[in-house]
Amino acid sequence: MAEQEYDVVVIGGGPAGYVGAIRCAQLGLKTACIDRWQDPEGKERLGGTCLNVGCIPSKALLESSELYEHTQKHLGTHGVRCGEVELDLAGMMARKDRLVNNLTQGIQGLFKANQVEWFKGHGQLQAERQVKFTGHDGKEQTLQAKNVILAPGSFPVELGCGPFDREYIVSSTGALRFEEVPKRLGVIGAGVIGLELGSVWRRLGSEVVMLEAQDRFLSFCDEQVANESLKIMSKQGLDIRLSARVTATKVDKDKGQVSVVYEDENGQHEERFDRLVVCVGRRPATDGLVSGPVELAMDERGTIHVNEHCETTMPGVYAIGDAVRGPMLAHKGSEEGIMVAERIAGMGSSVNYDTIPNVIYTLPEIAWVGRNEQDLKKQGVPYATGVFPFVASGRARAMEDTTGFVKLLAHAETDRILGAHIISSRASELIAECVIALEFGACSEDLARTVFAHPTLSEAVHEAALATLGHPLHIPPKGKRG
Amino acid sequence: DDPALSPAVRKLINEHDLDPGEIQGSGKGGRILKEDVVKHLDEAEAES
Repeated sequence: MAEQEYDVVVIGGGPAGYVGAIRCAQLGLKTACIDRWQDPEGKERLGGTCLNVGCIPSKALLESSELYEHTQKHLGTHGVRCGEVELDLAGMMARKDRLVNNLTQGIQGLFKANQVEWFKGHGQLQAERQVKFTGHDGKEQTLQAKNVILAPGSFPVELGCGPFDREYIVSSTGALRFEEVPKRLGVIGAGVIGLELGSVWRRLGSEVVMLEAQDRFLSFCDEQVANESLKIMSKQGLDIRLSARVTATKVDKDKGQVSVVYEDENGQHEERFDRLVVCVGRRPATDGLVSGPVELAMDERGTIHVNEHCETTMPGVYAIGDAVRGPMLAHKGSEEGIMVAERIAGMGSSVNYDTIPNVIYTLPEIAWVGRNEQDLKKQGVPYATGVFPFVASGRARAMEDTTGFVKLLAHAETDRILGAHIISSRASELIAECVIALEFGACSEDLARTVFAHPTLSEAVHEAALATLGHPLHIPPKGKRG
Repeated sequence: DDPALSPAVRKLINEHDLDPGEIQGSGKGGRILKEDVVKHLDEAEAES
């Protein structure tokens, strides 16, 4: 076996791995990136879950389905009338596939431009920082690395009582590829992925039932935001059932249906669906990642142990992204990739885990950063709250899109902003300015004394900051309502 | 609580293992700016 030597070998070409590899190469390190992804036609593709079966395709379908529903139901309000609106599902899917194709090829181009070597196949970490590479063609090769970055990613968790059959019971991947709109769609798990996929198919005509085992909706969100969002999404037609624990599933191929048995406080229930999506979580894809006498510490779920700088228990071996602790978010993995690359190159980089933004791309969108109100209460942190509803925003009124609000939380004594929570159209974009504020340790007065363009949705952030200080301009101040 | 530092300032301080308490901040409300850290490093170098 021929040996090739690299400064850095990255295993995994998803958002964590490919960004880490590009940054390494920018810093002058000889870098290889091993990735095993193949599309359904067997074509190798960089970009990992996010680009191929995650963030990008789901956003493509959310955008298209939103346009479809908007054209059907809401254009009349603006005085725009059109004839019958038709759904061309194949066309919608083809657009999504083109987009994925373009973006994954874009990364291929970036690898070339930065001189990152792309190895198509499996990578396995062995002792002494050697990486065994097995190509899709079966050929084996050993790469010798000064540093190894593990970025193997994650895959969907299967339900013991409802394993994926890739036809009736599918993961998020299958739910991005339905060839027709399911009449009745069951979604197990009302988390971020379940809500986004449920929204897509509801807009395209499915009757969607969501079964969530937890008794609280979006328990990781600020409670006020979660409550508002449950109200809105239920009104939109998502049938969200909480405290619903699925105990059995059965596929009936003759009828082309799957039945689901679940329990809640009122006893046992059964529902029949045309398709069932299981979105109960994701777990690290670390099976078969190491072999031989290596001492890479992992927990029972396969999560690789790392410190704050993503160093594993093996010197010179780092792990990043979904396979390590922290939120399973593309931008979290990418930032870890950059930090590790820069630290290998001798820089003092770090990731600020306290200011990672979160987004749910439903409509309205939900976005937040920092701490939420129930956590501050629990920890006994004194805080002030400022809320501004979009119904008082001129821009939102012009857009005919006034649902939701911006909520800021600031320390009661220092005024430092501790958290921002937004539910609205374009919340995903609005949260960025709050992330910057938190990154710079801003106080709500800093935001209040900043000039915001008028009329824009971002003014709601300005007003929420003013409200935190007790003197919003375009709503009555607290306690003086009505 | 940690003092309010910008991301670039945090990185420089980490990299050179500095104590933010010893750096004179020239920003709004005495905030330490990147240029303050650079100046601090230059002065430290000039003294040694």
